[in-house]
Amino acid sequence: MKVKVVTRILEANDRIAEENARRFREAGVYVVNLMGAPGAGKTTLLEKTILGLKDSLRIGVIEGDIAGTDDAERINNTGVPVVQINTGGACHLDANMISEVLPDLPLGELDILVIENVGNLVCPAEFRVGEDVKVMLLSVTEGHDKPLKYPLMFRESSVMILNKIDLLKHLDVDISKIKRDALSLNPSMRIFEVSGKTGEGIDRWTEWLKGQRSQ
Amino acid sequence: MHEASIVLSLLDTLTNRCREEGYRSIESIRIKIGMASGIMPEAIVFAFQAAKQDTIARDAELFIEMVPVGGSCSDCRNDFEVSEAYVINCPLCGSPSFKIGKGYELDIVEMEVN
Repeated sequence: MKVKVVTRILEANDRIAEENARRFREAGVYVVNLMGAPGAGKTTLLEKTILGLKDSLRIGVIEGDIAGTDDAERINNTGVPVVQINTGGACHLDANMISEVLPDLPLGELDILVIENVGNLVCPAEFRVGEDVKVMLLSVTEGHDKPLKYPLMFRESSVMILNKIDLLKHLDVDISKIKRDALSLNPSMRIFEVSGKTGEGIDRWTEWLKGQRSQ
Repeated sequence: MHEASIVLSLLDTLTNRCREEGYRSIESIRIKIGMASGIMPEAIVFAFQAAKQDTIARDAELFIEMVPVGGSCSDCRNDFEVSEAYVINCPLCGSPSFKIGKGYELDIVEMEVN
């Protein structure tokens, strides 16, 4: 007998993601899923974001890595609560991994939770974890061909942060092409240009984030 | 790279459905994958062969329909399909104004059960 099953293949993941989202809503915490390639500067951006916001908002972090606790230690040094997930080989975080560590975070005492996904420009884009917003970080050193090579990530992310703009003068990268191609994949995408190293542009991103939280 | 997780989610979803509705085994599964989804069908098939072994889908065949990226142009009003995983301009009139209608699928269509 044939049975019509009209649903997403990832329904099992999506169901847990919805349950996570419900817990986040109840706790009143705004959740960012931060994605990007290895070395794009996710943890540095996060450190700068925490510095910029921690006097006005209570922030928590989930660090996703295949192995190691280096990133969690860096975040721990900023003084905000952090939980490390080691995926043991998996190239992305999924909703169930997030659900399992939620008891380890003081959700009710947080305003913003940032989930730093495993460094990867492909796989994390497919898996919802219960976030309010997907934010992708692309460093300009990665080259201007990335939007058309990894279209799903650019389509799924509501925000793109272009990092390492302090290096632009040393590079042949065409940043206007990155923005043009990204917007053609995702016309409503919001774009910030920052330098995690010098701090340039970070305030525009943190102000935006603050605004989202209070909506 | 994440095809194994996708197959596990597929099997979870379908075996749950079978439990709820009292079906004993799955004979075949039909899914749709968009060309822009970043999924390799070969890797899906490989992961499926391994993951189905201890489930009620152990004898199931998997059929994959690949869906090209396509949309409709807001200027020339024509529908189009492309062979790439992205669209920058309408391939018919060159307009940058269009809506993508397909190519990102990761959907279950149907299964055959007993």
